[in-house]
Amino acid sequence: MASIARCLRAARPSTLSRLAQVPRTRYNWQPATLRAFSASPIRDIRKYTKDHEWIDLNAEKTAGVIGISEYAAEELGDVVYVELPEEGKEVSAGDTIGAVESVKSAADINAPIACKVTSVNLGLEEKPGTINQVPEDDSHGGGWIVKVQVGEQGVKDFDALMTLEEYKAFTGSEEH
Amino acid sequence: MALPRRLLNTFSRPRIRPYYNISLSARRLFNAEAVSHPSNRVQVYISRATDPYLNLSIEHFLLQKSPPDSVVLFLYTNRPCVVVGRNQNPWVEVNLGLLGPGRSKVVDGSGDDNQGPVLLVRRRSGGGTVFHDPGNVNYSVICPPASFDRNKHAEMVVRALRSLGVSGSRVNERHDIVLDGRSCAPPAAPFIKARGVESVRSPIRNVEIPDTAAFEEAVVAEFGAMYGNVDPEIIRVTDAETALDDVPAVAKGYAELKSLDWIYAQTPQFSFSTHPTEDDPRPRPSLPDDLPADFRAAMTVRHGQIIEVSGKGLPEESLKSTYLHHITDWRSKVDSESVGRWLNTLFGVIS
Repeated sequence: MASIARCLRAARPSTLSRLAQVPRTRYNWQPATLRAFSASPIRDIRKYTKDHEWIDLNAEKTAGVIGISEYAAEELGDVVYVELPEEGKEVSAGDTIGAVESVKSAADINAPIACKVTSVNLGLEEKPGTINQVPEDDSHGGGWIVKVQVGEQGVKDFDALMTLEEYKAFTGSEEH
Repeated sequence: MALPRRLLNTFSRPRIRPYYNISLSARRLFNAEAVSHPSNRVQVYISRATDPYLNLSIEHFLLQKSPPDSVVLFLYTNRPCVVVGRNQNPWVEVNLGLLGPGRSKVVDGSGDDNQGPVLLVRRRSGGGTVFHDPGNVNYSVICPPASFDRNKHAEMVVRALRSLGVSGSRVNERHDIVLDGRSCAPPAAPFIKARGVESVRSPIRNVEIPDTAAFEEAVVAEFGAMYGNVDPEIIRVTDAETALDDVPAVAKGYAELKSLDWIYAQTPQFSFSTHPTEDDPRPRPSLPDDLPADFRAAMTVRHGQIIEVSGKGLPEESLKSTYLHHITDWRSKVDSESVGRWLNTLFGVIS
Protein backbone atom coordinates (compact mmCIF):
# COMPACT_ATOMS: atom_id res chain seq x y z
CA MET A 1 0.00 0.00 0.00
CA ALA A 2 1.01 3.59 -0.38
CA SER A 3 1.98 6.04 2.32
CA ILE A 4 -0.49 8.68 3.41
CA ALA A 5 1.38 11.25 1.35
CA ARG A 6 0.89 9.25 -1.82
CA CYS A 7 -2.75 8.68 -1.12
CA LEU A 8 -3.40 12.32 -0.34
CA ARG A 9 -2.11 13.39 -3.67
CA ALA A 10 -4.33 10.82 -5.19
CA ALA A 11 -7.31 11.70 -3.08
CA ARG A 12 -7.81 15.30 -4.02
CA PRO A 13 -5.28 16.76 -6.40
CA SER A 14 -7.49 19.70 -7.15
CA THR A 15 -7.63 20.66 -3.48
CA LEU A 16 -3.92 20.35 -3.10
CA SER A 17 -3.20 22.65 -6.01
CA ARG A 18 -5.74 25.10 -4.65
CA LEU A 19 -4.09 24.99 -1.26
CA ALA A 20 -0.78 25.69 -2.88
CA GLN A 21 -2.02 29.04 -4.05
CA VAL A 22 -3.83 30.44 -1.06
CA PRO A 23 -2.49 31.51 2.31
CA ARG A 24 -2.99 28.72 4.78
CA THR A 25 -5.50 29.29 7.50
CA ARG A 26 -6.35 25.82 8.68
CA TYR A 27 -3.90 25.59 11.52
CA ASN A 28 -5.79 27.90 13.81
CA TRP A 29 -6.88 24.91 15.85
CA GLN A 30 -5.25 24.97 19.27
CA PRO A 31 -4.56 21.54 20.70
CA ALA A 32 -3.71 23.12 24.07
CA THR A 33 -7.36 23.78 24.83
CA LEU A 34 -8.13 20.09 24.45
CA ARG A 35 -5.11 18.82 26.27
CA ALA A 36 -5.70 20.06 29.76
CA PHE A 37 -5.47 16.57 31.28
CA SER A 38 -2.19 15.57 29.78
CA ALA A 39 -0.48 18.93 29.60
CA SER A 40 2.92 18.58 31.16
CA PRO A 41 4.91 21.43 32.66
CA ILE A 42 7.63 21.04 30.08
CA ARG A 43 6.05 21.00 26.66
CA ASP A 44 6.73 18.06 24.41
CA ILE A 45 8.34 18.84 21.11
CA ARG A 46 6.22 17.97 18.06
CA LYS A 47 7.65 17.30 14.64
CA TYR A 48 6.19 16.17 11.32
CA THR A 49 7.16 13.85 8.45
CA LYS A 50 6.69 14.34 4.73
CA ASP A 51 4.29 11.40 4.95
CA HIS A 52 2.09 13.52 7.25
CA GLU A 53 2.71 11.76 10.54
CA TRP A 54 3.45 13.74 13.68
CA ILE A 55 5.48 12.71 16.71
CA ASP A 56 5.75 14.25 20.15
CA LEU A 57 9.00 13.58 21.95
CA ASN A 58 9.12 14.06 25.70
CA ALA A 59 11.64 16.41 27.26
CA GLU A 60 13.88 13.48 28.24
CA LYS A 61 13.78 12.22 24.64
CA THR A 62 12.91 8.72 25.81
CA ALA A 63 9.27 8.39 24.83
CA GLY A 64 6.94 9.71 22.20
CA VAL A 65 3.44 9.74 20.80
CA ILE A 66 2.68 9.31 17.08
CA GLY A 67 -0.33 10.26 15.01
CA ILE A 68 -1.32 11.58 11.61
CA SER A 69 -1.57 15.30 10.91
CA GLU A 70 -4.77 17.28 10.82
CA TYR A 71 -3.96 18.10 7.22
CA ALA A 72 -3.75 14.39 6.36
CA ALA A 73 -6.92 13.53 8.27
CA GLU A 74 -8.84 16.19 6.44
CA GLU A 75 -7.54 15.15 3.04
CA LEU A 76 -8.17 11.43 3.60
CA GLY A 77 -11.83 12.02 4.27
CA ASP A 78 -13.94 9.93 6.64
CA VAL A 79 -11.80 7.26 8.22
CA VAL A 80 -13.60 3.89 8.39
CA TYR A 81 -10.94 1.73 10.03
CA VAL A 82 -7.56 2.08 11.67
CA GLU A 83 -5.19 -0.91 11.73
CA LEU A 84 -2.94 -0.78 14.77
CA PRO A 85 0.36 -2.55 15.45
CA GLU A 86 0.97 -5.02 18.26
CA GLU A 87 2.46 -3.64 21.45
CA GLY A 88 6.16 -4.36 21.64
CA LYS A 89 6.74 -4.02 17.91
CA GLU A 90 10.14 -2.50 17.12
CA VAL A 91 10.50 -0.48 13.95
CA SER A 92 12.92 1.70 12.03
CA ALA A 93 12.02 5.08 10.60
CA GLY A 94 9.74 4.59 7.62
CA ASP A 95 8.51 1.13 8.61
CA THR A 96 4.79 0.54 8.58
CA ILE A 97 3.16 0.75 12.01
CA GLY A 98 -0.43 0.67 10.90
CA ALA A 99 -2.85 1.64 8.20
CA VAL A 100 -5.84 3.84 7.84
CA GLU A 101 -8.73 3.06 5.50
CA SER A 102 -10.93 5.98 4.55
CA VAL A 103 -13.84 6.28 2.20
CA LYS A 104 -11.32 7.38 -0.41
CA SER A 105 -8.29 5.16 0.03
CA ALA A 106 -6.19 2.93 2.25
CA ALA A 107 -2.83 4.32 3.38
CA ASP A 108 0.03 3.03 5.46
CA ILE A 109 1.03 4.84 8.61
CA ASN A 110 4.82 4.89 8.78
CA ALA A 111 7.01 5.27 11.85
CA PRO A 112 8.55 8.78 11.82
CA ILE A 113 11.56 7.52 13.79
CA ALA A 114 13.08 4.29 15.05
CA CYS A 115 11.05 3.29 18.08
CA LYS A 116 9.33 0.53 20.02
CA VAL A 117 5.56 0.52 20.39
CA THR A 118 4.58 0.61 24.07
CA SER A 119 0.85 1.20 23.72
CA VAL A 120 -1.75 1.55 21.00
CA ASN A 121 -4.89 3.67 20.89
CA LEU A 122 -7.43 0.85 20.85
CA GLY A 123 -10.27 3.35 20.98
CA LEU A 124 -9.63 4.08 17.31
CA GLU A 125 -10.74 0.59 16.34
CA GLU A 126 -14.20 1.32 17.63
CA LYS A 127 -14.30 5.02 16.83
CA PRO A 128 -12.13 5.55 13.76
CA GLY A 129 -13.85 8.90 13.26
CA THR A 130 -11.77 10.23 16.17
CA ILE A 131 -8.95 10.53 13.63
CA ASN A 132 -11.04 13.03 11.70
CA GLN A 133 -12.12 14.98 14.77
CA VAL A 134 -8.90 15.30 16.81
CA PRO A 135 -6.03 13.78 14.81
CA GLU A 136 -3.35 15.74 16.64
CA ASP A 137 -4.68 15.19 20.14
CA ASP A 138 -2.36 13.00 22.22
CA SER A 139 -4.62 12.80 25.26
CA HIS A 140 -7.10 10.13 26.33
CA GLY A 141 -9.87 10.16 23.73
CA GLY A 142 -7.61 11.81 21.16
CA GLY A 143 -6.70 10.60 17.71
CA TRP A 144 -3.11 9.58 18.47
CA ILE A 145 -2.11 6.20 17.06
CA VAL A 146 0.66 4.77 19.25
CA LYS A 147 2.90 5.59 22.17
CA VAL A 148 6.51 4.59 21.74
CA GLN A 149 9.80 4.18 23.51
CA VAL A 150 12.68 5.98 21.85
CA GLY A 151 16.38 5.17 21.75
CA GLU A 152 19.50 6.82 20.37
CA GLN A 153 18.66 6.15 16.72
CA GLY A 154 15.16 7.49 17.25
CA VAL A 155 16.51 10.76 18.63
CA LYS A 156 18.78 11.08 15.59
CA ASP A 157 15.85 10.42 13.25
CA PHE A 158 13.79 12.98 15.16
CA ASP A 159 16.29 15.76 14.48
CA ALA A 160 15.78 15.33 10.75
CA LEU A 161 12.00 15.84 10.89
CA MET A 162 10.12 19.06 10.17
CA THR A 163 8.99 21.58 12.77
CA LEU A 164 5.40 22.79 12.64
CA GLU A 165 6.45 25.86 10.65
CA GLU A 166 8.42 23.76 8.18
CA TYR A 167 5.52 21.34 7.85
CA LYS A 168 3.08 24.17 7.23
CA ALA A 169 5.33 25.45 4.48
CA PHE A 170 5.65 21.90 3.11
CA THR A 171 1.91 21.25 2.95
CA GLY A 172 1.34 24.74 1.56
CA SER A 173 3.73 24.14 -1.28
CA GLU A 174 3.06 20.48 -1.92
CA GLU A 175 1.73 20.21 -5.42
CA HIS A 176 2.28 16.65 -6.53
CA MET B 1 6.74 1.99 2.53
CA ALA B 2 6.01 4.74 0.07
CA LEU B 3 4.82 3.53 -3.28
CA PRO B 4 4.73 6.11 -6.01
CA ARG B 5 1.71 4.60 -7.70
CA ARG B 6 -1.95 4.66 -7.36
CA LEU B 7 -4.06 1.60 -7.95
CA LEU B 8 -7.56 1.99 -9.18
CA ASN B 9 -9.66 -1.06 -9.03
CA THR B 10 -13.21 -1.09 -10.13
CA PHE B 11 -15.48 -3.86 -11.12
CA SER B 12 -17.71 -4.02 -14.11
CA ARG B 13 -19.78 -6.86 -15.23
CA PRO B 14 -20.51 -7.78 -18.77
CA ARG B 15 -22.58 -10.95 -18.52
CA ILE B 16 -21.34 -13.36 -21.09
CA ARG B 17 -20.03 -16.83 -21.63
CA PRO B 18 -16.43 -17.62 -20.72
CA TYR B 19 -13.95 -16.73 -23.42
CA TYR B 20 -11.97 -19.39 -25.17
CA ASN B 21 -10.89 -17.66 -28.33
CA ILE B 22 -8.70 -14.66 -27.91
CA SER B 23 -9.00 -12.13 -30.65
CA LEU B 24 -6.22 -9.95 -29.29
CA SER B 25 -2.85 -11.06 -30.47
CA ALA B 26 -0.20 -12.15 -28.01
CA ARG B 27 2.96 -10.33 -29.02
CA ARG B 28 5.16 -10.69 -25.98
CA LEU B 29 5.34 -12.88 -22.96
CA PHE B 30 4.72 -11.49 -19.51
CA ASN B 31 8.15 -10.31 -18.53
CA ALA B 32 8.91 -9.05 -15.05
CA GLU B 33 11.85 -6.96 -16.23
CA ALA B 34 9.84 -5.27 -18.94
CA VAL B 35 7.25 -4.23 -16.34
CA SER B 36 9.76 -2.04 -14.55
CA HIS B 37 11.66 -0.78 -17.60
CA PRO B 38 11.55 3.05 -17.60
CA SER B 39 10.77 3.17 -21.32
CA ASN B 40 7.56 1.23 -20.77
CA ARG B 41 5.34 4.26 -20.23
CA VAL B 42 2.09 2.65 -21.31
CA GLN B 43 1.47 -1.00 -20.49
CA VAL B 44 -1.53 -3.20 -21.09
CA TYR B 45 -1.89 -6.72 -19.72
CA ILE B 46 -4.69 -9.21 -20.02
CA SER B 47 -4.43 -12.20 -17.73
CA ARG B 48 -5.83 -15.54 -18.79
CA ALA B 49 -5.19 -17.00 -15.36
CA THR B 50 -8.37 -17.41 -13.34
CA ASP B 51 -6.84 -17.92 -9.91
CA PRO B 52 -7.93 -14.76 -8.03
CA TYR B 53 -4.96 -14.93 -5.63
CA LEU B 54 -2.59 -15.04 -8.58
CA ASN B 55 -4.30 -12.24 -10.49
CA LEU B 56 -4.32 -10.01 -7.41
CA SER B 57 -0.64 -10.81 -6.85
CA ILE B 58 0.21 -9.88 -10.43
CA GLU B 59 -1.79 -6.68 -10.00
CA HIS B 60 0.13 -5.86 -6.81
CA PHE B 61 3.39 -6.64 -8.59
CA LEU B 62 2.46 -4.25 -11.42
CA LEU B 63 1.61 -1.57 -8.84
CA GLN B 64 4.96 -2.00 -7.11
CA LYS B 65 7.23 -2.47 -10.11
CA SER B 66 5.92 -0.40 -13.00
CA PRO B 67 7.80 2.89 -13.57
CA PRO B 68 6.43 5.78 -11.46
CA ASP B 69 5.32 7.82 -14.45
CA SER B 70 3.76 4.96 -16.41
CA VAL B 71 0.13 4.10 -16.94
CA VAL B 72 -0.88 0.45 -16.72
CA LEU B 73 -4.11 -1.28 -17.67
CA PHE B 74 -4.63 -4.77 -16.27
CA LEU B 75 -7.63 -6.90 -17.22
CA TYR B 76 -8.44 -10.21 -15.60
CA THR B 77 -11.30 -12.58 -15.02
CA ASN B 78 -11.46 -14.79 -11.95
CA ARG B 79 -13.07 -18.13 -11.34
CA PRO B 80 -16.02 -17.87 -8.93
CA CYS B 81 -14.91 -16.17 -5.73
CA VAL B 82 -16.04 -13.79 -3.04
CA VAL B 83 -13.57 -10.96 -2.47
CA VAL B 84 -13.78 -9.11 0.83
CA GLY B 85 -12.11 -5.76 1.54
CA ARG B 86 -8.97 -5.36 3.60
CA ASN B 87 -10.73 -4.56 6.87
CA GLN B 88 -13.87 -6.62 6.59
CA ASN B 89 -15.31 -9.52 8.51
CA PRO B 90 -15.91 -12.65 6.39
CA TRP B 91 -18.37 -14.07 8.95
CA VAL B 92 -20.48 -10.93 8.62
CA GLU B 93 -20.08 -10.37 4.90
CA VAL B 94 -20.22 -13.89 3.52
CA ASN B 95 -22.32 -16.98 4.02
CA LEU B 96 -19.20 -19.12 4.30
CA GLY B 97 -21.19 -22.34 4.39
CA LEU B 98 -22.35 -21.69 0.82
CA LEU B 99 -18.83 -21.47 -0.53
CA GLY B 100 -18.22 -25.15 -0.04
CA PRO B 101 -15.24 -27.02 1.34
CA GLY B 102 -11.79 -25.88 0.30
CA ARG B 103 -12.90 -22.27 -0.07
CA SER B 104 -9.35 -21.02 0.21
CA LYS B 105 -7.81 -23.65 -2.00
CA VAL B 106 -7.44 -23.41 -5.72
CA VAL B 107 -8.25 -26.98 -6.53
CA ASP B 108 -7.42 -27.25 -10.19
CA GLY B 109 -4.68 -25.31 -11.88
CA SER B 110 -6.31 -24.70 -15.21
CA GLY B 111 -9.45 -26.74 -15.39
CA ASP B 112 -13.08 -25.77 -15.61
CA ASP B 113 -13.71 -22.38 -14.05
CA ASN B 114 -17.09 -23.30 -12.70
CA GLN B 115 -16.08 -26.44 -10.88
CA GLY B 116 -14.94 -26.65 -7.30
CA PRO B 117 -15.58 -24.35 -4.40
CA VAL B 118 -16.25 -20.63 -4.56
CA LEU B 119 -13.00 -19.19 -3.26
CA LEU B 120 -12.78 -16.73 -0.39
CA VAL B 121 -10.30 -13.91 -0.99
CA ARG B 122 -9.28 -10.89 1.07
CA ARG B 123 -7.75 -8.21 -1.12
CA ARG B 124 -5.12 -5.69 -0.04
CA SER B 125 -7.20 -2.65 -0.81
CA GLY B 126 -10.07 -1.36 1.26
CA GLY B 127 -13.75 -1.27 0.52
CA GLY B 128 -16.58 -3.76 0.33
CA THR B 129 -17.29 -7.32 -0.70
CA VAL B 130 -17.84 -8.39 -4.29
CA PHE B 131 -18.57 -11.63 -6.11
CA HIS B 132 -16.60 -12.62 -9.21
CA ASP B 133 -17.33 -15.24 -11.82
CA PRO B 134 -16.24 -15.98 -15.41
CA GLY B 135 -18.72 -13.47 -16.82
CA ASN B 136 -17.11 -10.66 -14.85
CA VAL B 137 -14.12 -8.80 -16.27
CA ASN B 138 -12.08 -6.81 -13.75
CA TYR B 139 -10.12 -3.81 -14.82
CA SER B 140 -7.33 -2.06 -12.92
CA VAL B 141 -5.66 1.14 -13.94
CA ILE B 142 -2.38 2.08 -12.28
CA CYS B 143 -1.42 5.69 -12.85
CA PRO B 144 0.67 8.49 -11.35
CA PRO B 145 -1.12 10.20 -8.45
CA ALA B 146 -1.03 13.58 -10.18
CA SER B 147 -3.25 12.36 -12.99
CA PHE B 148 -5.55 10.45 -10.68
CA ASP B 149 -9.24 11.13 -10.92
CA ARG B 150 -11.85 8.83 -9.51
CA ASN B 151 -14.17 9.00 -12.50
CA LYS B 152 -11.68 9.23 -15.33
CA HIS B 153 -11.24 5.51 -15.89
CA ALA B 154 -14.76 4.55 -14.97
CA GLU B 155 -15.78 6.86 -17.79
CA MET B 156 -13.25 5.14 -20.01
CA VAL B 157 -15.16 1.91 -19.44
CA VAL B 158 -18.49 3.61 -19.99
CA ARG B 159 -17.17 4.70 -23.40
CA ALA B 160 -16.03 1.14 -24.09
CA LEU B 161 -19.51 -0.16 -23.26
CA ARG B 162 -21.08 2.49 -25.44
CA SER B 163 -18.86 1.42 -28.35
CA LEU B 164 -20.31 -2.06 -27.92
CA GLY B 165 -23.82 -0.72 -28.16
CA VAL B 166 -24.53 -0.66 -24.42
CA SER B 167 -26.27 2.60 -23.74
CA GLY B 168 -27.41 4.00 -20.43
CA SER B 169 -24.37 3.06 -18.38
CA ARG B 170 -22.92 5.87 -16.34
CA VAL B 171 -20.62 6.63 -13.45
CA ASN B 172 -22.55 7.12 -10.23
CA GLU B 173 -21.84 9.21 -7.14
CA ARG B 174 -19.83 6.39 -5.63
CA HIS B 175 -17.59 6.42 -8.71
CA ASP B 176 -18.96 3.01 -9.71
CA ILE B 177 -20.29 1.95 -13.05
CA VAL B 178 -21.92 -1.24 -11.93
CA LEU B 179 -20.97 -2.84 -8.67
CA ASP B 180 -20.85 -6.57 -8.50
CA GLY B 181 -22.15 -8.36 -5.47
CA ARG B 182 -24.58 -11.11 -4.57
CA SER B 183 -27.07 -11.36 -1.82
CA CYS B 184 -25.93 -14.31 0.21
CA ALA B 185 -26.97 -13.19 3.66
CA PRO B 186 -24.58 -14.66 6.20
CA PRO B 187 -26.45 -16.41 9.01
CA ALA B 188 -24.10 -15.13 11.73
CA ALA B 189 -24.49 -11.44 10.83
CA PRO B 190 -27.48 -10.66 13.07
CA PHE B 191 -25.51 -11.93 16.08
CA ILE B 192 -22.28 -10.06 15.43
CA LYS B 193 -21.20 -6.54 16.26
CA ALA B 194 -18.07 -5.85 14.29
CA ARG B 195 -15.45 -3.19 14.09
CA GLY B 196 -14.10 -2.46 10.65
CA VAL B 197 -15.71 -1.87 7.32
CA GLU B 198 -19.21 -2.86 6.24
CA SER B 199 -20.17 -3.33 2.63
CA VAL B 200 -22.59 -0.99 0.93
CA ARG B 201 -25.29 -3.06 -0.72
CA SER B 202 -25.41 -2.13 -4.39
CA PRO B 203 -27.65 -3.29 -7.18
CA ILE B 204 -25.91 -5.24 -9.92
CA ARG B 205 -26.69 -5.25 -13.58
CA ASN B 206 -25.55 -7.52 -16.35
CA VAL B 207 -24.39 -5.85 -19.52
CA GLU B 208 -25.61 -7.53 -22.67
CA ILE B 209 -22.56 -7.79 -24.87
CA PRO B 210 -21.47 -10.80 -26.85
CA ASP B 211 -18.39 -11.95 -24.95
CA THR B 212 -15.66 -10.89 -22.58
CA ALA B 213 -13.12 -10.66 -25.40
CA ALA B 214 -15.18 -7.96 -27.11
CA PHE B 215 -15.33 -6.03 -23.86
CA GLU B 216 -11.59 -6.42 -23.31
CA GLU B 217 -10.88 -5.14 -26.80
CA ALA B 218 -13.15 -2.16 -26.35
CA VAL B 219 -11.53 -1.19 -23.03
CA VAL B 220 -8.05 -1.59 -24.49
CA ALA B 221 -9.08 0.65 -27.41
CA GLU B 222 -10.42 3.38 -25.09
CA PHE B 223 -7.32 3.15 -22.92
CA GLY B 224 -5.22 3.46 -26.08
CA ALA B 225 -7.18 6.53 -27.12
CA MET B 226 -6.32 8.16 -23.78
CA TYR B 227 -2.67 7.20 -23.43
CA GLY B 228 -1.48 5.93 -26.80
CA ASN B 229 -2.02 2.57 -28.41
CA VAL B 230 0.08 -0.36 -27.30
CA ASP B 231 -0.34 -4.02 -28.02
CA PRO B 232 -1.78 -5.78 -25.04
CA GLU B 233 0.35 -8.45 -23.50
CA ILE B 234 -1.54 -11.64 -22.90
CA ILE B 235 -0.54 -13.31 -19.67
CA ARG B 236 -1.31 -16.92 -20.41
CA VAL B 237 -1.98 -19.39 -17.60
CA THR B 238 1.50 -20.82 -18.10
CA ASP B 239 3.06 -17.31 -18.04
CA ALA B 240 1.27 -16.56 -14.78
CA GLU B 241 2.40 -19.84 -13.28
CA THR B 242 5.96 -19.18 -14.44
CA ALA B 243 5.82 -15.76 -12.78
CA LEU B 244 4.76 -17.50 -9.61
CA ASP B 245 7.81 -19.74 -9.81
CA ASP B 246 10.34 -17.21 -11.05
CA VAL B 247 9.35 -13.82 -9.67
CA PRO B 248 9.88 -13.68 -5.90
CA ALA B 249 7.62 -10.63 -5.40
CA VAL B 250 4.71 -12.40 -7.08
CA ALA B 251 5.34 -15.58 -5.11
CA LYS B 252 5.50 -13.65 -1.83
CA GLY B 253 2.30 -11.74 -2.54
CA TYR B 254 0.57 -14.96 -3.54
CA ALA B 255 1.57 -16.75 -0.35
CA GLU B 256 0.38 -13.81 1.74
CA LEU B 257 -2.99 -13.60 0.02
CA LYS B 258 -3.57 -17.36 0.33
CA SER B 259 -2.59 -17.61 3.98
CA LEU B 260 -5.49 -18.31 6.32
CA ASP B 261 -3.97 -15.75 8.64
CA TRP B 262 -4.55 -13.02 6.07
CA ILE B 263 -7.97 -14.28 5.01
CA TYR B 264 -9.39 -14.79 8.50
CA ALA B 265 -7.11 -13.37 11.21
CA GLN B 266 -6.88 -9.93 9.58
CA THR B 267 -10.53 -9.51 10.61
CA PRO B 268 -11.09 -6.53 12.92
CA GLN B 269 -12.29 -7.40 16.43
CA PHE B 270 -15.93 -8.44 16.75
CA SER B 271 -18.32 -9.73 19.35
CA PHE B 272 -20.89 -12.45 18.93
CA SER B 273 -23.90 -12.65 21.18
CA THR B 274 -27.02 -14.79 21.04
CA HIS B 275 -29.02 -12.16 22.91
CA PRO B 276 -29.15 -8.34 22.89
CA THR B 277 -26.42 -6.70 24.95
CA GLU B 278 -25.74 -3.18 26.13
CA ASP B 279 -23.25 -2.70 23.31
CA ASP B 280 -25.42 -4.33 20.70
CA PRO B 281 -29.10 -4.04 21.65
CA ARG B 282 -30.48 -5.19 18.29
CA PRO B 283 -33.18 -7.82 18.68
CA ARG B 284 -31.88 -11.24 17.60
CA PRO B 285 -33.57 -13.76 15.36
CA SER B 286 -35.16 -16.53 17.40
CA LEU B 287 -32.82 -19.39 18.13
CA PRO B 288 -33.55 -22.89 16.81
CA ASP B 289 -36.12 -24.79 18.87
CA ASP B 290 -33.81 -27.70 19.58
CA LEU B 291 -31.27 -25.60 21.51
CA PRO B 292 -31.36 -25.96 25.32
CA ALA B 293 -34.00 -23.58 26.70
CA ASP B 294 -31.54 -21.58 28.77
CA PHE B 295 -28.87 -21.38 26.07
CA ARG B 296 -27.19 -17.99 26.12
CA ALA B 297 -23.72 -17.27 24.88
CA ALA B 298 -21.34 -14.55 23.86
CA MET B 299 -17.77 -14.35 22.71
CA THR B 300 -15.27 -11.74 21.63
CA VAL B 301 -13.00 -12.52 18.70
CA ARG B 302 -9.88 -10.44 18.15
CA HIS B 303 -7.97 -10.90 14.91
CA GLY B 304 -9.72 -14.18 14.36
CA GLN B 305 -8.95 -15.52 17.84
CA ILE B 306 -11.51 -16.07 20.58
CA ILE B 307 -10.37 -13.95 23.52
CA GLU B 308 -13.46 -13.95 25.71
CA VAL B 309 -16.32 -16.37 26.25
CA SER B 310 -19.35 -15.82 28.44
CA GLY B 311 -22.88 -17.09 29.11
CA LYS B 312 -24.20 -20.59 29.59
CA GLY B 313 -23.50 -23.08 26.89
CA LEU B 314 -20.05 -22.24 25.58
CA PRO B 315 -17.20 -23.91 27.48
CA GLU B 316 -14.53 -21.30 28.02
CA GLU B 317 -11.69 -23.79 28.47
CA SER B 318 -12.10 -25.40 25.06
CA LEU B 319 -12.69 -22.17 23.17
CA LYS B 320 -10.51 -19.46 24.63
CA SER B 321 -7.44 -18.67 22.48
CA THR B 322 -8.82 -20.79 19.63
CA TYR B 323 -8.86 -19.30 16.15
CA LEU B 324 -12.35 -19.34 14.73
CA HIS B 325 -11.19 -20.61 11.36
CA HIS B 326 -9.37 -23.52 13.01
CA ILE B 327 -12.62 -24.95 14.34
CA THR B 328 -13.62 -27.70 11.93
CA ASP B 329 -16.63 -28.90 13.88
CA TRP B 330 -18.28 -26.99 16.73
CA ARG B 331 -19.83 -30.20 18.04
CA SER B 332 -16.42 -31.20 19.30
CA LYS B 333 -16.10 -27.88 21.12
CA VAL B 334 -19.44 -27.68 22.92
CA ASP B 335 -21.38 -30.11 25.06
CA SER B 336 -24.64 -29.97 23.20
CA GLU B 337 -25.02 -31.58 19.79
CA SER B 338 -27.72 -29.10 18.74
CA VAL B 339 -25.64 -26.08 19.79
CA GLY B 340 -22.71 -27.47 17.83
CA ARG B 341 -24.82 -27.94 14.72
CA TRP B 342 -26.21 -24.43 14.97
CA LEU B 343 -22.77 -22.86 15.39
CA ASN B 344 -21.52 -24.88 12.41
CA THR B 345 -24.25 -23.26 10.33
CA LEU B 346 -23.58 -19.77 11.67
CA PHE B 347 -19.85 -19.85 11.13
CA GLY B 348 -19.93 -21.74 7.87
CA VAL B 349 -18.26 -24.92 9.03
CA ILE B 350 -18.91 -27.62 6.50
CA SER B 351 -19.63 -30.89 8.23
